[in-house]
Amino acid sequence: MEFDLENPLTNLHESRSDTITSLFHIESDHMPLENYLQSLQTKGFDISVRREAISEISKFSCTFDPFLSYLAVNYLDRFLSSQGMLQPKPWVLGLLAISCVSLAAKMKETECSLVDFQGDGGFIFDSQTIERMEALILGALKWRMRSITPFSFISYFISFFKLRDPPLRHSLKARATEIIFKAQNEIKLLEFRPSIIAASALLSAAHELLPLQYPCFRKAIFCCSYVNKENLSQCYNAMQEIVIDGYESVFDMVSSSGTPVNVLDQHFSSSELSGKTNGNITTNTIKAERDMKRRKIIDHYDNLTVQISRIQQC
Amino acid sequence: MEKYEKLEKVGEGTYGKVYKAKDKDSGEVVALKKTRLEMDEEGVPPTALREVSLLQMLSQSLYVVRLLCVEHSLNKHGKPLLYLVFEYLDTDLKKFIDSHRKCPNPRPLPSPLVQSFLYQLCKGVAHCHSHGVLHRDLKPQNLLVDKDRGILKIADLGLGRAFTVPLKSYTHEIVTLWYRAPEVLLGSTHYSTGVDIWSVGCIFAEMVRRQALFPGDSEFQQLLHIFRLLGTPTEKQWPGVTSLRDWHVYPQWEPQNLARAVPSLGPDGVDLLSKMLKYEPAERISAKAALDHPYFDSLDKSQF
Repeated sequence: MEFDLENPLTNLHESRSDTITSLFHIESDHMPLENYLQSLQTKGFDISVRREAISEISKFSCTFDPFLSYLAVNYLDRFLSSQGMLQPKPWVLGLLAISCVSLAAKMKETECSLVDFQGDGGFIFDSQTIERMEALILGALKWRMRSITPFSFISYFISFFKLRDPPLRHSLKARATEIIFKAQNEIKLLEFRPSIIAASALLSAAHELLPLQYPCFRKAIFCCSYVNKENLSQCYNAMQEIVIDGYESVFDMVSSSGTPVNVLDQHFSSSELSGKTNGNITTNTIKAERDMKRRKIIDHYDNLTVQISRIQQC
Repeated sequence: MEKYEKLEKVGEGTYGKVYKAKDKDSGEVVALKKTRLEMDEEGVPPTALREVSLLQMLSQSLYVVRLLCVEHSLNKHGKPLLYLVFEYLDTDLKKFIDSHRKCPNPRPLPSPLVQSFLYQLCKGVAHCHSHGVLHRDLKPQNLLVDKDRGILKIADLGLGRAFTVPLKSYTHEIVTLWYRAPEVLLGSTHYSTGVDIWSVGCIFAEMVRRQALFPGDSEFQQLLHIFRLLGTPTEKQWPGVTSLRDWHVYPQWEPQNLARAVPSLGPDGVDLLSKMLKYEPAERISAKAALDHPYFDSLDKSQF
C-alpha cells in the first residue's frame, strides 16, 4: 500500500467522481494553518528558518524521488504552522528536517535507513532522538500523513483539456509538475489550496506550451464547480511571476544541486550547448548574468546566516 | 497515558487489548486500543504509520468510529507503545441482535431500525470505498451501536491491510468466516469493493433473521452453506469461477428462493439483498448505489 502523491486515495476502480469529491473535501486538512503565511511574512527570521529547513531536507533527500522531498516539506510547513517556530539552532533544524524526510520515506515505502540521510559534515542523531521528533511531528499533524497535494489533482484537471495526443498530455503534465515543485518554495503560494495550485500550474504550463489552446483550457478549468474562481485568478497571477522571473529564488541556489526542477539550469545548459555549436557569444552573456545573480543570492544568503547566528546568540 | 483512567477491559481485538477508559480532564468516555506494534530500530514503524494515517482520514465520517487521537507511550519496560483513542459506543451489533434473541422476551428487530442500520452501514462503506479503502472484515462484532440514539458505526477499520485478512485472531479464537465473500473463500487474490458488499448483505439478512445466514465452520463448509442457498455457481453466472485457485468440484445445487431465508423482509428488501449477494463480484450493487435503492424509499433520509 504505497502512498502515491498523484493518487493518494488508493484506487479501487470506484467511480473517479466519488474519489475526486473526497479529495476536494479533505484537501484543506493537509495545508499549513491559516496564520502561517502571515507569521512568515511578519517575522523575518521565520522565513529563514523555513528556508534553512527546506535546504536541509533537500540535502537529505536529494538521492531519492523528488516527491519524497515534496512530501517532507509539506510535513515541515504543517508542523511549523502548528507548533510555531522552533529555536533556530542548526541542530534543531537538522533534526526536524531529517525526521520529516524519514516520515516521508516511510509513507512512500522508500527503502532507506536513517544512516543514509546522515551524511558527511552534518549532525548525527541516534534513532531514539529521531523517533521522539517523529512522534512530535505526528502529534502536531494529527497523524494525517497521507497528504493531499497538488499532484493529486493533476490528472483530474488535465482531463478537462480533452487532449488526444498522449505525448502532449505528457509534456503538459511534466511541465506542470515542475512548476508545482518550484511553487513549494514560494511562501506567497502557501495560502492556496492544493487543487488551486494544481489548476494554476497546469494553466501556466498550457500558457507556455500550447498558447493557442490556452484560452479554451482556461475557460474549462474556470468552469469547474470545485474551483473558487477568485482564488484561482490570484494564484495563477502569483504563479506567473514565479514562472517568469522566479529564477532568482534564493532557495534554488543555496539548496544542493539535487533540486530536480531547476528550470534555470536546464534552460542554461541547453543554451550553452547551442552556444558552443553555433560559436556565438550568447553563452558568455548568459554566464555573466547567471554569475551576477548567483553572487546577489549568495550575498543575500550570507545576510540570512548572519541573522540566524545573531538570533542564536540572543 | 496518564490522561486516561482505565475503567475495564472491553475486549481483545484482533490486534490487541481494548479498554473502556475515561479522560480525567473532560470526563469523556473513550475506547483505548493498545496496539501490539512496537517501535523498531528506525523510529515509528512504517506499517503503523500508513495504517493509522489511513484510519485518520476515514474517521471523518459519522458512520465510522471516530479516532480521537493517537498517543505514544512507554510500557513498564520502557518500550514505546501506540494507543489509539476512539470514541466509545456502548454495544455492538452482535450483542444487540443477541439481546433480541436470547432473552426472556425474544422479538424481531423493528423493521424501521433494520432499514436505518443498513442505511448507515452502506453510508459508512460508501465512504471507505470512495477513499479507496476496503474493510475486508465487516461483521456484526465490528459494527458499534448506540442503542439510545439508533446510531451504527463501522469499527476496526484500516488496520487490516498490513496484516492481510486475519486467519487467527490474537487470542487464537478462529476468525469468523460467515461474512466472507465467495471469491475470497475460493482463493481469488484480485478482489475489490464487492467483498465488503457481500458482508453487508450477510449482515442485512442476519438483522432480519436474528441468526447468521451462512454459519460455516470451515472454508469448505462456508462455501457449501452459500451454494446450498444460492445454487452452485456456474461459469455462465460467474465467468472464471472454475479457474479460481481453490475451486473444486462441488455438488450441484439449484438456487433456492432467497425470500424464504428472510421471511419477514418485504420484496424491496429481498431485491436489495439479492443484489448484494450476486456471485459475480462486479455485478454486486455498490454501496453508493444501494443508498438509492427503493428499499430505503420509506426511510427519512434527512436525519442522516
